[in-house]
Amino acid sequence: MKSAEEIKDFTRFIAEYATSLLGSGVHTSRVMRNSGRIASSMGLQVHMTTFQKSIIMTVADADGTHVHTEVLEIPGMPISFEYNSELSSLSWEAFDKHLSMEELRKKFEEIKVLPKMTTWLLILLVGFANASFCRLFGGDLGAVLIVFLATMLGFFLRLQMQKRGVNHFIVFTMAAFVTSLTASSALLFDATAEIAVATSVLYLIPGVPLINGVIDILEGHTLIGVSRLIQAFLLVLCIAAGLSLSIFLFQNSLL
Amino acid sequence: MLTELIMDGLLAAIAGIGFGAISHPPKRAFLYIGILAAIGHSIRYFLMHALQVDLAAASFCASIAIGCFTLWFGRITYCPMTVLYIPALLPMVPGMYAYKTVFGLMMFMQHLNDETMAPKYLQETFSNAVVTVSTVFLLALGATLLIFLFPKRAYSMTRK
Repeated sequence: MKSAEEIKDFTRFIAEYATSLLGSGVHTSRVMRNSGRIASSMGLQVHMTTFQKSIIMTVADADGTHVHTEVLEIPGMPISFEYNSELSSLSWEAFDKHLSMEELRKKFEEIKVLPKMTTWLLILLVGFANASFCRLFGGDLGAVLIVFLATMLGFFLRLQMQKRGVNHFIVFTMAAFVTSLTASSALLFDATAEIAVATSVLYLIPGVPLINGVIDILEGHTLIGVSRLIQAFLLVLCIAAGLSLSIFLFQNSLL
Repeated sequence: MLTELIMDGLLAAIAGIGFGAISHPPKRAFLYIGILAAIGHSIRYFLMHALQVDLAAASFCASIAIGCFTLWFGRITYCPMTVLYIPALLPMVPGMYAYKTVFGLMMFMQHLNDETMAPKYLQETFSNAVVTVSTVFLLALGATLLIFLFPKRAYSMTRK
């Protein structure tokens, strides 16, 4: 039997846990399962409704004497698969070992401060990735080299703009424009310019919301699934807009 | 053929790891993301070049294969399935078709009054868009199918 105060305390924790999961790009049913698992390890029930920007959740004890509801905003966080994995593991640990509230909080805080990859290594990896992508599409050495440089420049710009809190759509449009413009320099050399321009912007594709949207819809969370797909689709449109600006400038040479 | 397949897989692995890094996966996942991307892309390459399967169907088969291996690798790395297979699928995005859709649309707009060129560009835009959208949808569906087929296993990957 939990007191009303304990339930309130637990609800605050589980609401923060669930919003962190949703913010870091986890599909809805996993968030619900994970939260439900932690709740059941405490002998409680959790029910929630999720939207793109907020979450409504109610926690109740087994016989329904004490009930507490919270409405929380989902923070705008960068996608993190590491949070996804570690927070999911935490839910199983809570379930298997019946962690106390203090232990749960402590482990949650530890996960939140896990170190991230250094920015330069990340930029280099993304550059290599897009360069090999260009090669997969049949780009020659010159195109691969130019895509490598263009991607690093564009990705650096994207990170800088995101750090300054520039609007998401503007970030994607600008990054796509700068990357494809830089990649257009392949026209100056004897390189497969069309492939260079086409593949240069592909590192921007919002793969995570696209696939999460499909999973959510297939699992019946249609509303949030459609919201995710619309967001992803708008980002794709932004990429197309930035790309078409470059094409517009160089279309005669690209034909 | 074999060297081409290995080269194809190697490039896809680098691409998968780099695209994955953007989403901050746990360090232990990188190796497996690379392997999955290599498996998927070389299966698609083989199907398309050796057996003349079309792009969408080959992508779907490759995506299912990635899903199967993810069921296994997820248990080794304690990672949810999506963490491993989303980055592995990204190198299979039909980038050239997506590009040609945008390019065709631009050209259509500029030849609106040209009676021979306008329909040609519109048709090009439409067919490229159809290929892009169906391939991306099938890619997303293929690997996800495995979650629905083996829900118990898929949902307890992170249990230590």
